Amino acid sequence: MRAFREALAALALTTTATSAFAVPGLAESLLAGMAKTPPVSTPFVLVSYRGVLDRPLVVSGNLRWLGGDRMERDIDKPFKETATIAEGTITVRRGRGAVQQMPLARAPQAGAMLAGFRALLGGDVPALQKDFALSAQGSTAHWVITLTPHAGAIKRQLTSLVIDGRDHEPRCLTMTDANGDSSITLVGAMAEQGLRSSAPLESALAARCRNNP
Amino acid sequence: MSNRARVAIWFAWLVVIAAIGWGVALHLRISSDLRDFVPPARTADQKLLLDEIGKGPGSRLLLLAISGAPRAQLADLSRGLDDALAHDPAFARVANGANDLADVASDLLPYRYLLSPTLDTQRFDAAYLREQLQQRIEDLSSPAASMLEPWLRRDPTLETLKLAQHWTPPHQPELIDGVWFSDRGEALLVAETRAAGFDPGAQAAAIASLQKHFAALPGAAKARLVISGPGWFGVQASRHTRAEADRFGAITTIGFVLMLLLAYRSAVPIVVTALPLLSGAVAGFALLALIFGHAHGITVAFGFTLLGVAQEYPLRVFSHRRIGVETSRCVRELWPLLATAIVSVCIAYLAFFASGVAGLQQLAVFTIGGLVVAGACTRWLLPWVVPPARRDMAATPGLARAWHFLAQLPRPHWLPWLVAAAGVVVVVFAPGKVWQNDLSALTPIPQAELQRDARLRAELGAPDVRYLLVLRAPTAEGVLALSERMAPRMDHLVAQHALDGFELPSRFLPSIATQRARQAKLPDAADLQSALQQAMQGLPFRAGVFAPFIADVEAARKLPPLTPGAFERSPLGARLESMLVRQGDGWAGLGTLSGVNDPTAFDALAGGTNGAVHLLDLKASTESLIIAYRHRILVALGIAALLLCIAVTLALRSPRRASHVLGPMTLATLLVLVVLRACGIPLSLFHLVSLTLAAGLGLHYALFFERRTGDEREDLRTLHATLVCVASALLVFGVLALSSVPVLRAIGLTVALGVAFHFTLSVLMAPAGHLRREP
Repeated sequence: MRAFREALAALALTTTATSAFAVPGLAESLLAGMAKTPPVSTPFVLVSYRGVLDRPLVVSGNLRWLGGDRMERDIDKPFKETATIAEGTITVRRGRGAVQQMPLARAPQAGAMLAGFRALLGGDVPALQKDFALSAQGSTAHWVITLTPHAGAIKRQLTSLVIDGRDHEPRCLTMTDANGDSSITLVGAMAEQGLRSSAPLESALAARCRNNP
Repeated sequence: MSNRARVAIWFAWLVVIAAIGWGVALHLRISSDLRDFVPPARTADQKLLLDEIGKGPGSRLLLLAISGAPRAQLADLSRGLDDALAHDPAFARVANGANDLADVASDLLPYRYLLSPTLDTQRFDAAYLREQLQQRIEDLSSPAASMLEPWLRRDPTLETLKLAQHWTPPHQPELIDGVWFSDRGEALLVAETRAAGFDPGAQAAAIASLQKHFAALPGAAKARLVISGPGWFGVQASRHTRAEADRFGAITTIGFVLMLLLAYRSAVPIVVTALPLLSGAVAGFALLALIFGHAHGITVAFGFTLLGVAQEYPLRVFSHRRIGVETSRCVRELWPLLATAIVSVCIAYLAFFASGVAGLQQLAVFTIGGLVVAGACTRWLLPWVVPPARRDMAATPGLARAWHFLAQLPRPHWLPWLVAAAGVVVVVFAPGKVWQNDLSALTPIPQAELQRDARLRAELGAPDVRYLLVLRAPTAEGVLALSERMAPRMDHLVAQHALDGFELPSRFLPSIATQRARQAKLPDAADLQSALQQAMQGLPFRAGVFAPFIADVEAARKLPPLTPGAFERSPLGARLESMLVRQGDGWAGLGTLSGVNDPTAFDALAGGTNGAVHLLDLKASTESLIIAYRHRILVALGIAALLLCIAVTLALRSPRRASHVLGPMTLATLLVLVVLRACGIPLSLFHLVSLTLAAGLGLHYALFFERRTGDEREDLRTLHATLVCVASALLVFGVLALSSVPVLRAIGLTVALGVAFHFTLSVLMAPAGHLRREP
């Protein structure tokens, strides 16, 4: 997780360099405004678009950032699962009691998600910086932060993590895998609003994240 | 002859020794293979022990713990070391928890349905497949989805992952930052060396390489790397022993030089006295290289100890030189007695040669060759380099008074008999165990290190190094089948807490019969297709997405079963190779056990299989070999003693005179045993060899005191020579007796005691009237 510890410091520097539309200084003010004291909890709706599936998978539940590199994700629907990320290890517990453990290093998507939350909620930019380049676009009222892996094992699996937000609240986290799969996680107010369709089109959901007032 | 010529000869002699020594060092292999050292194995377990000791699973494992830095840094160090060792040819395997066994298993991907136990209890029907696919849907929403997705199309039941889990030891340390950590916060690794565990040279090289890799890692300077395991202990023990021997060697060398200066008031003995012994040693090594090509390390250590007798030859010469008489003449006068001693000892050592044990034969060759060469050098070379005496040692101040004192000591005839009888009583009835069968007790591992090893072993779930489960059958297939039958019974033993865990060969490779049974359960392409279609109904999987799965199952139906030979070529092959070994006409499987709490619980297992499956206690088997070896040594020593008696009697041409020589030797040897037994010291092989050296020295004392010269000054020179010899032996071995290393202490104490007793008794038991002459 040290990987993510240096990220926010470079945020200001990389904003201009990595995006034509990047707004210098935006990231600092965004992150300064959003920092919260853990634990922070939010409902979420995860919509996964997978190459092996002909329609999206939808799960919902609660996400909790416990501070530092600790995070929990409870899925309530359509099945029960508790996933914990702590000390570089992911532990997944399903209803049937089977517990799976694996190093976080082997699941870059989960690592990126945690890094995003740490940066957004904890203001821990240095942690993010070793593995990701950051850029911010828009205004403090309506913004997009993009995390792009620098190189190595993470880049082989993950293309980008894009976070959409309004004011001091993130709304959507869009993860694009290297193999073309993607997932959109709605959090906060967006998650409370829920989905308007049981199998939303990716483009429609993305547009909602970007444009919904 | 001029001094210049003497120096030239001395130098040439030195050069020859160095040249032969260098040549021998190039050709003689010092082995640590127990087979060179102990008698031929008689039982199948002893054979297995000799074949497998050190090569077997478990004994090649090094347990590593990194501490002393923040966790994140320890995890980085663990990964760095893992990476370095994975590329080091000295290591067969390294694991720190981060290694993805699924990657390894993927090499055996086509065989996954034959190797995984899934089909023993399941069928690939619609119901099972649907349950599996539903789980995969859930997996696709999990944080680890990206890990599973690449497998999904080929392996929707995740057989590869199940296989990887099946091969992972049940007990694993906690994963933190993706690597193993102990409860105490140390990063843990396991590394398996290619070299055998009891090959100290190769282990030392592997450990040095490991330490170098670690030191080269960024941030390693602040962290601490702890190594444990049989290989580490072996290296530590030999390093410690060598360091202590070197330290004592330096002390005694200085003492010895000072003593020579004091005794001879000349620097000549200092530069010359070591040459015959060195020549003998080099000759002994050369003979070993020519005849055997190799020698066991312990044999060499024993041989060097026994060769110590030769140190006396030049000292006798120096003490017996006379003013105005050529050294060569003095040597000629001494020679009959010296030759008697040398020949008698050599004849005695012939008994070792007849013992039939390679280690003892090597010992005999080395010692006999060494003594003969040292003697010959003393007789024919030494006179050329020693200048004529400028001082008669008989005139040494105080020597005459010492003679007088010794001559005045009372010598009751009955005393030796009484002492002998009392000694026998003590030796026989003293409490405590007589023999030390545990070789490792001679090079003990500090208690703290043993405790740490046990802790790391438990945390890592690493196998016990003392116990193995042996499974015997005529064929490898038979062993695997037996191993499969035993697995449930072993599970039962684990449930009963007789042991904590086990790994049998069949865990890695099932028998061909089992593989065929699983193969027979695989559905054909059409059946699988329809079962899949049924299973996918209502699930969001894309049609046709599992075509690679259907193709793989179809291929697996036609595969020839995986044989041990084919499996051993895979990356996991080393694991099976060490667990499945050919032995004579049959095959043996070696199951590793961890945390054996109740060895007797395995008796039922052995009983139920007529001994085809049983617990092998490596410690007990090694001890049985040591006992067999000691038995041979004792027999050889007995015969040697007999031969010595005959040789001395023949040489002195009188049983009465021989008794004056052999009496003190016997009694002195007995008294050393009395002291050792009374102190509760169990006797090891090193004690026996040391007793033999002491007896060899005692033979000299007794022979020289027994000599009738009729010349008072010559008797004084004999006393001078003997005193110098006794003092030097006491110095060398007395210091060694203070060592903290038990093997050095055993040699030092035994020889020092022996020298003291032999000297005292050869003075006191010298023929009446011999010493009684007034000075």
